[in-house]
Amino acid sequence: MTRTAATQLLELDNISLSFKGVKAITDISFSVAAGEICALIGPNGAGKSSLLNIISGVYQPQRGRIRFDNRERRGMRAHDVAVRGVARTFQNIALFKGMSVLDNVLTGRNLKRRSSWIEQALRIGRAGREDDSQREAAERVIEFLHLQPWRDAWVGTLPYGLQKRVELARALAAEPRLLLLDEPMAGMNAEEKQLMSRFIVDINRELGTTVVLIEHDIGVVMDISDHVVVLDYGRKIGDGAPDVVRQNPEVISAYLGTRH
Amino acid sequence: MGTLTETLDTLPHWLHQQALEHGTDVALRHKHLGVWQVRTWRQLADEVLRLASVLQARGFSVGATLTIISRPTPQAIVAALAAQWLGGAASLFDPLDGVAGQVELLGELQPDFVLAEGYEELSRLGAAQVAPRVVIYLDKRGLSGSVAFDQALDYATLIEAKALDERVPLAHAQQTAFVFYRRGPQAIEQQRISHAELLQHGQQLVQREGLRRQEEALAARGFASGDQARYLLAPWLIAGFRLNFPENLATRDRDRRELGPTLVAGTRETYERLHSYVLERLPAPGDGARRLVDWALAARSGPLRRFIGQWLVRRPLRDVLGFSRIHAPLLVGDALKPETQAFFDTLGINVRQWEGAAHWEVPTISLASTTHEPDERQSQRAWKEATT
Repeated sequence: MTRTAATQLLELDNISLSFKGVKAITDISFSVAAGEICALIGPNGAGKSSLLNIISGVYQPQRGRIRFDNRERRGMRAHDVAVRGVARTFQNIALFKGMSVLDNVLTGRNLKRRSSWIEQALRIGRAGREDDSQREAAERVIEFLHLQPWRDAWVGTLPYGLQKRVELARALAAEPRLLLLDEPMAGMNAEEKQLMSRFIVDINRELGTTVVLIEHDIGVVMDISDHVVVLDYGRKIGDGAPDVVRQNPEVISAYLGTRH
Repeated sequence: MGTLTETLDTLPHWLHQQALEHGTDVALRHKHLGVWQVRTWRQLADEVLRLASVLQARGFSVGATLTIISRPTPQAIVAALAAQWLGGAASLFDPLDGVAGQVELLGELQPDFVLAEGYEELSRLGAAQVAPRVVIYLDKRGLSGSVAFDQALDYATLIEAKALDERVPLAHAQQTAFVFYRRGPQAIEQQRISHAELLQHGQQLVQREGLRRQEEALAARGFASGDQARYLLAPWLIAGFRLNFPENLATRDRDRRELGPTLVAGTRETYERLHSYVLERLPAPGDGARRLVDWALAARSGPLRRFIGQWLVRRPLRDVLGFSRIHAPLLVGDALKPETQAFFDTLGINVRQWEGAAHWEVPTISLASTTHEPDERQSQRAWKEATT
């Protein structure tokens, strides 16, 4: 599938964002094809996380347009973005540490519930009927990410690498079309990175989920990505297939440092 | 299911019998998606017949061998029984065994019919440069878009097929039911176990241990060995109890605790691992709680100490190990270390050793030819002679 022929799931057009006059992102445009793994890379402070926050609806850009699934998104809140099929993980783990792995994953199913909060609070109507299907969906994610041995463990007691995987599971439980991963391998050792890379590729290939990820490990990025966007000081300096980006002189000088 | 089988001298005949007489009883349980999923004897026999139908349609016949590379799963059991139903044998490979050795074995064997658990197991076929006539996989993960395995068949889709018309097993007592391979000092060795031998050992175990239909057995790590076939699979089919499979290897201890099996056929490693599991969790020596444990588990003790020790230490420890209901803790293969044997004795768990009856030999004919057609024809002739 060539990038020109592919269906674009996400299109960003001249996006700019500033905080009290400080420009975080300046006129960034790129698109993400349906079914691809797109990596956002760049030095610290390049605007990667800000861009992810814009895509997920946490920040509203001052300028520019965002199209998701061929529909323009205007002033959409994070909740509405999630309803339309975007899920994310965070750079710093944001889980309910006093809850079990299963319960954390089940929170990712909230948007899939049809029962009202009253039904859920009183365990009446659709709430009871939904429980089995929600549990099964959560269990499928737990199985997919090989989390069965820790199903009932409190998240706070788990090692860091596993917590990252639980966070991924919670995002996946929402059955997203677009999965945003903010440094999913930060702080992991080589073995954990390899496992997480495998899971991300499996999510993409087996479930057909489009992935946009921020990652500092260039080896991993070049290995698993179909498309790389390079940012520097809030501007885009590279956009293309990993091999193309790898040869881009501006990228080499700004980020990679040495020719590979 | 047709009429009652007259002779019960093969594993599939026993399956047939159980399905006819106790069709709605639970035969297999497997934890999947956090829930114990069940297969009754009738459902199991039906699945075996469906898979047998698929295999037969693809050329599997009397004397052929189905190579199974899988952890213990219900599907692996179904596949072994389907091969045996058709008068063939099952050759079991544990995916947890060393990859290099397994690749070497597969390369020498050049199997024609293979059931592999998933991508990793299929990759071993590729590494061994094996091109089987039929490859079936259980887990399709990682296979989408894979050119190397585009001819492989999905188990879940295959068993949607119509069941075999032939409702009586084609196996006979003297045929090989299971064949195992290992790398010996000089050459690859094989262990062939006939239905008659399996059933003989199985019957002995059922009688000596008093196994009944109410037993709950757990098949965790051990599966791809002749002793497991003798002391777990054959007794299961004869006595008609429930065979349980954990969700996966990492959850086996939790699943054992949840299940509380009455029959465990473990190896030395199984019991030693459980012993270590307990030792790691005991309070440090010198700690008050540890002194209580040591006091309660002392070999020679009076009635009061035994009573207190039972309620405060032995019983909780048996629960932790998942041995709260165990009455047939069997050891197959090598003997336990004395300290491990003593530990289980103090808990009131009398681990009994069943001598491994493995007889390994270097095959006199080419290994690759054991699953190929000339031998199939020989086997068919032999079977006809034996049955007429």
